Amino acid sequence: MRFVASLRSLASSLLHRSQIEGDLDEELRAHIANRADDLERSGLPRTEAERRARIEFGGQERYKEECREERGGVWLASLWTDVRFGLRMLSKSRGFSVVAVITLALGIGANAAIFSMVNALLLHPYHFRDLDALVRVWEDRGIDEGYDARYVAPADAKELSTHGELFESIATYEIRSFSLGAGSEIQPALGCRVTANFFDVLSVSPTAGRLFSPGEEQPGDDQVAIVSDGFWKRRYAADPHLLGEKISLNGRMYSIVGIMPKDFDYPVPVELWVPLALTPEEQADRTQLSLQVLGRLKDGVMPDQTGAALANFSRRLEQDYPKTNAGRTMKALQLRKELYVFTLPLFLLLQAAAGFVLLLACANLANLVFARMIGRQREIALRTTLGAGRGRLGQLFLSEMLLYAIAAGIVAITASFASVKMLRTSIPAGWTKWVPGWNGIRVDGNVLAFTIAVALGTGLVLGLATVLHASHVELNNTLKETGAGSVTPAKRRVRSALVIAQVMFAFVLLVCAGLTIQGFVRLADIYRGFQPASVLRLEISLPEKTYPETVKITNFYQQLVRDAASLPGVQHASLITNAPASNVDNETTFFNIEGQPALKAGEAPSADLQIATPDFFATLKISLISGRFLSEADNIDAARVVVISPGMAQRFWPGDDPVGHRIKLGTANSVEPWVTIAGVVGDVRQNWWNPTTRPVIYKPFAQSAQRSMTLLMRTQTNPASYVSAIREVSRQIDPGIALRGVATLEEEVNDSIAIIRIMGILMGIFGLVALVLSSIGVYGVLSESVAQRTREIGIRLALGAETPALMKLILGHALKLTAIGLAIALPVSLTISRAMTSLIFGVVSMNATIFAAFAAVLLLVGLGAGYLPARRAMNVDPMVALRYE
Amino acid sequence: MAGQAQILPGNLDLLILKAVSLGPLHGYGILLRIEQISRGALLIEQGALYPALFRLVRQGLLKPSWGTSDNNRRAKFYELTPAGRKRLHQEAADWNRLVAAIALALGAEAEEV
Repeated sequence: MRFVASLRSLASSLLHRSQIEGDLDEELRAHIANRADDLERSGLPRTEAERRARIEFGGQERYKEECREERGGVWLASLWTDVRFGLRMLSKSRGFSVVAVITLALGIGANAAIFSMVNALLLHPYHFRDLDALVRVWEDRGIDEGYDARYVAPADAKELSTHGELFESIATYEIRSFSLGAGSEIQPALGCRVTANFFDVLSVSPTAGRLFSPGEEQPGDDQVAIVSDGFWKRRYAADPHLLGEKISLNGRMYSIVGIMPKDFDYPVPVELWVPLALTPEEQADRTQLSLQVLGRLKDGVMPDQTGAALANFSRRLEQDYPKTNAGRTMKALQLRKELYVFTLPLFLLLQAAAGFVLLLACANLANLVFARMIGRQREIALRTTLGAGRGRLGQLFLSEMLLYAIAAGIVAITASFASVKMLRTSIPAGWTKWVPGWNGIRVDGNVLAFTIAVALGTGLVLGLATVLHASHVELNNTLKETGAGSVTPAKRRVRSALVIAQVMFAFVLLVCAGLTIQGFVRLADIYRGFQPASVLRLEISLPEKTYPETVKITNFYQQLVRDAASLPGVQHASLITNAPASNVDNETTFFNIEGQPALKAGEAPSADLQIATPDFFATLKISLISGRFLSEADNIDAARVVVISPGMAQRFWPGDDPVGHRIKLGTANSVEPWVTIAGVVGDVRQNWWNPTTRPVIYKPFAQSAQRSMTLLMRTQTNPASYVSAIREVSRQIDPGIALRGVATLEEEVNDSIAIIRIMGILMGIFGLVALVLSSIGVYGVLSESVAQRTREIGIRLALGAETPALMKLILGHALKLTAIGLAIALPVSLTISRAMTSLIFGVVSMNATIFAAFAAVLLLVGLGAGYLPARRAMNVDPMVALRYE
Repeated sequence: MAGQAQILPGNLDLLILKAVSLGPLHGYGILLRIEQISRGALLIEQGALYPALFRLVRQGLLKPSWGTSDNNRRAKFYELTPAGRKRLHQEAADWNRLVAAIALALGAEAEEV
């Protein structure tokens, strides 16, 4: 009943506001008139009677306000008033508003931009149904070879798919490069061999045509292909009659049966998918970890439950097939988290940095607002006197701050459409296509919601801080004072604390930015270690059909290297399995050291395996440390040799020269021959995330030819100008061979560290913003405290104080604030940078110089910010200062 | 003003309900009625009446309506709702019990303890 009455009162008060206001006025006027009538009747003149009646009534405005509050719904109604008032204030003090909105928009915009990346890469890298149930499974051999080297043996994969305890379905696949077309039209195409259920596991369907049927997994029935949208558009100009067309892949004819949707590019952006048709022998293989496995978990199976179940399953395999499966454990990782090893530390760091920028912006704005509050103390006092309750005032400040934050949010969102697009296109497409979700970096609903939430949260926090700050205005003093109002020591402390906080955030951000940029520069240098300038690189895959055996492969490549090296202007030409900066990890191999047998299969040492021609080291100018390089004499008839990296030498022959020792590739019972270590060559950083000290074994190409190789050529002039020449050389030897990934090594290096570069740039921007904001903050507080003390300074000057002493006083204050901020920031930034060094692949390392340099920068900024107001104060005419206020 | 007692805010509500229970009144009329029935012993700040009236209306205890006062001025009249009447009886009973108890306590003599 009462509730209904309250509601009715609320509703009517909201619906008929102006009428009710009029009613209230009229009611009180009637009261006073009635009273005046009575007083007049008792003999007072009318005017005097009215005056007395008004006095007796008391503070009309106060009672009106109390009536409004009693009526209910007042906050809603007054909120509207406050918003209108806030808008008026915003437009009245335009300069302040612009500064406030820009400051906040910087902070909010930084967060929106970074969150768009977090949203795309970490939260939604793929757009598959029930993404959280999709996992990658691999067999771990005690060493994790990186996310792109996680494989399962075919027979183990088959066993897993019939296991049925964890998985609803299991698909296997294998990425392959194909030679597309025939004759002189031949072109490389990246493809993927997949089981028939591959698309069902991901729950995607083609835009046209059909998926594979299980029967098409049989060798001989497998000549069907599904192509990507890009393949259809680029190679066939979106021909509507593509289905049923025949294409030649590696010399066999396939008919196109389906076209996938535009955004489907799993496992990597490939052009086509063909059935994974394994022969019975291949299917029974347990030694080669050759297939990648993708599984969809059953309903109710949590991804973290899979560990124990897969370990059990692996133990059973180990018991059943001890010869092949010993020491292998199956592991699973959610598809979404596959790239977390790269993306998580990078983007969490960026998001944290953006958060710091926002905090800094808030501290800065709070300082501005508090400074302005001093000017508004009289307004506040007046409002309080006229009956505004504390809650009512709080609401006023809150709505003002919310308005700023909302305006800043709108600016930030508008700007983010551009900034996010810039981020997305800032990294070469050749790199980003390997990062699932990168092309999904955009301002979507999530980013909008996040930005709005950040903006509102910021407004709320700032508003509440302002309310707290304003809640202790002393009425009488403020009203009595004629000057601009005074600052209590408590408030001065709050503002100093805000400056200290700004210095702190700025220092932390600057140090993080400095470390990241330094890491980037060093990375570029480390790649310089093998001198990528003037090197052309390209990849070749010889088709199985025309190159079925080793002799033909060896002949082709030896001819190619010879002809390439004899091109005018080419200094060296060589082959390597995996060129540096390829963004692909090296293949790894187990090995045994003669005389040091491994106890268990799983405990065998392992190293990266590279196959190289002798000139490889000269091509990249890799140094010789001991023994000799590979030579032309290490051919198929000569004794088996390898050269190794210093990382391997130090790990397995500490304090000894490994040259002359013998090793055997493979596990303990492998049938590989023993090979002699002929030399130790300089470390090469394979990819920026690899530590340089990885053990590497280089086998001579002549003793272990392989179908897919990378050709490297060191040229005298611009390597890009040799592209057509090398194409002609290749065509002369075999016109049916496709050259892929033709680029200069320098381009590859730059592309491969693009992600670190963009991180460095972003951190640099954040650091710069931090520096600017914090110097404004320090300057603002100091110049104001100097202004507050103008009178005092005037008196001191009049009494004969020396200017240097006064200067020292003010600068001392500036230095003190900065130094306290630095003192707090030091342990914080030490902790953060320690986390950075361990998280970001050793790219970042601690550097005392950076700490010292930025501390000095901030101290200088503090001094500068103090110097300007101090000088102004020194020039004060004592007479003017004494009259001040 | 000697002999007048300042009243507590809660008591004002009770007095208003009592005053209005004798017939619909406008604000100034309520003030006069309270003065009259308390024989001028209670001091009420005139303006303070109105927030109390608004409160009672919101609680559904009073019902306002516009009318004309004795001296021909438009005025807002308040009358008791059934809920208001119930509340008046309840609070009056509570008050009497409280007053009786306090009077008893204050009147206690040494030998009664």
